[in-house]
Amino acid sequence: MTDDVPIQPSFEGIDHHGRAVTDASYRGKHLLVFFGFTHCKVVCPRALARLTRVLDSLGPLANELQALYVTVDPERDTPRVMKTYLEERGPRVIGLTGTRAQIDDAKHAFRVFARRVPGASEEDYDVPHTAISYLLDPAGRYRTHFSDAIREDELLEGLRVLLHQRDFIERTPTLRIPPAHPDFST
Amino acid sequence: MLTPEQIGHLRHFDNLSRQRPNDWSLMQGKGIGQDDFGGYRFQLAYMAYALALTHAHRLPAAPGVFKGTFERLIEKMLSPEVWMYWRDTSRGGAVFNAHLVDQLKEEWDPVVRDNIMYSAYVQSMALLYHYLFDDDRYTQPGALTFAHWSFFWGGAERRFVYDENSLNEHIYWQMVENGYVGVACEPNCIFQICNQPAILGFRLHDLIHGGTRASEVTRAYEQAWQQFGRLDANGHYNMMLLQDGRTVVPNAQRMPWVDAWCGTLINMWNRDFVRAHYPRQVSELLQPGEAGALSVHVNERPETPGPRVVADSCDFGWVAAWASEMGDADTLSGLFTHADRYMAPSWRDGGLYYPRNDAELNGAGHRTIMEPLTGNVLLGYARLNVPDGLWRLYNKPWSRARFHEPALVDIDVDIDVYEATYDAKAGRLRFAIRRRADHNANGRVVVRNLGAASRWSVDGGDAVVANEHGTSSIGRGVQVSRDGADFVLHAPAGAELRTLVVEP
Repeated sequence: MTDDVPIQPSFEGIDHHGRAVTDASYRGKHLLVFFGFTHCKVVCPRALARLTRVLDSLGPLANELQALYVTVDPERDTPRVMKTYLEERGPRVIGLTGTRAQIDDAKHAFRVFARRVPGASEEDYDVPHTAISYLLDPAGRYRTHFSDAIREDELLEGLRVLLHQRDFIERTPTLRIPPAHPDFST
Repeated sequence: MLTPEQIGHLRHFDNLSRQRPNDWSLMQGKGIGQDDFGGYRFQLAYMAYALALTHAHRLPAAPGVFKGTFERLIEKMLSPEVWMYWRDTSRGGAVFNAHLVDQLKEEWDPVVRDNIMYSAYVQSMALLYHYLFDDDRYTQPGALTFAHWSFFWGGAERRFVYDENSLNEHIYWQMVENGYVGVACEPNCIFQICNQPAILGFRLHDLIHGGTRASEVTRAYEQAWQQFGRLDANGHYNMMLLQDGRTVVPNAQRMPWVDAWCGTLINMWNRDFVRAHYPRQVSELLQPGEAGALSVHVNERPETPGPRVVADSCDFGWVAAWASEMGDADTLSGLFTHADRYMAPSWRDGGLYYPRNDAELNGAGHRTIMEPLTGNVLLGYARLNVPDGLWRLYNKPWSRARFHEPALVDIDVDIDVYEATYDAKAGRLRFAIRRRADHNANGRVVVRNLGAASRWSVDGGDAVVANEHGTSSIGRGVQVSRDGADFVLHAPAGAELRTLVVEP
């Protein structure tokens, strides 16, 4: 049997400034959580570059959102490594690492796929991973997610709509987010 | 207008759906334990798919032909006899999984882990039903419940409660957790084929409930498979991926079912790819026969340690289904020429099927083997499908407006419907029916959404239904009466095929 809510998002670890954090540390803002690792050759650099452009395009709305980059490779991704990496690739993104157990718990909570694949040497391994971004609301609840295959304009528009909805709903408390319109027509 | 053979296949599907609980007559294959491709679940699912294609493309104004059959197929799909194999198969003890045998235990819930070869069919059948008939019964809590209790096994009843939405969500998140490469069938074995029905289910869920899961999954699935390749070194579809070792198992034996099943289903969302490879792939699978007949090469199953695996391959049926989806009329015609000549087409209670035959070849060397999935279902599927039938179902969704259009919504079991279309521009409903003598009922057809007054014609002879409360004869013995907003039509006993047209 399955739970009604597919994701029960929770995590704890160390952010790239060396501070101990949990999901509760970010209450009050939307969180955009995605998983990766700094040795990633293609997916993460692409995702971070795209996210940086999207955050820029969001303008002031970006202040409603905090992006979190959770490593699936805590053995190599120390806080310092992540900080250096993100300063270059995603300066508006906070990196999160931790113990192997903490990272595995976070992966499990977010239903993330990641597996270590041997490379040419012991240190030169790869970690193919789920490349979707999870949007949590300011109360820390799963709201939706975006796949890596989504186009940049779709991600931007999706975030705009969802962040605007928050703004709209907060100003109009009697309203609720409407359900998907059940119409088959194209 | 459907052909008598097409009507015969629909009738056979309906006959099988009406068999008593646990009566699987004509459906038992060679394999034991329901864990091979001849299993009941595949027969039930592809009957449902064939019904969906026929309703969508051939009899759009006759939901009543299909709805009851669909419900009975889903009910059978949920019966323990169909899914109990999973308790054993979930152990993952196959030879290539020897290293996992101590890690996996028997699992009674047939959809909670792996087993996409069952779960995706339940998901997609329920969603097809909702989509085609605008009936949300499988969204109700517990509407898709898997329950089993054995007096002699003992203990409490095993009961696993799902519905259309929770099952869809569960399968989707399994996809995500696996990096979109797919969900395993048997533990550790991710077949390309068996993940396609889940994609159909996602698409239908998007159409019904909103969302973009199907496009998300197909895009990510493409990316995930890029590292493995969809085709093997010989240009045939890779069969599966061993999940833990990330090892692709090619179709080294060029088994026709691998290509044909993959091609049939993947066409719905990646038509260009399938069509680009079809001519060469199918040409390597076909075997020309005499006087226009075409058969399918017989390839040996790969050797595995231990006793020989006894299982249905259904090669012939899958190639026919594939040719139908590709609109390859010549190949389809050749295959049916062969089937009708050498594979003993049979009629039972008005239903057409090809009975099981375990002999690979006859004395003259013609292929005669017939598995229940092919004989009961796939050849019927191929006859009923239209070119790009699945592609159209996936890519050309119906408007909800159709649920308000005139349609045959309730049809007695002794009525065959050969034609049923509604021309919205002209406001004209056209249908053709025949009353059968071999089924016992009242020859009744309920027509809905016709409005207050309409002109009826039967085989060209006109009659106006003036009496809205009484019964009118509208010619050739056909009677029409009103039942609330519905028109109820009675075809006389022994009535031959009649074409009726109703206009404003």
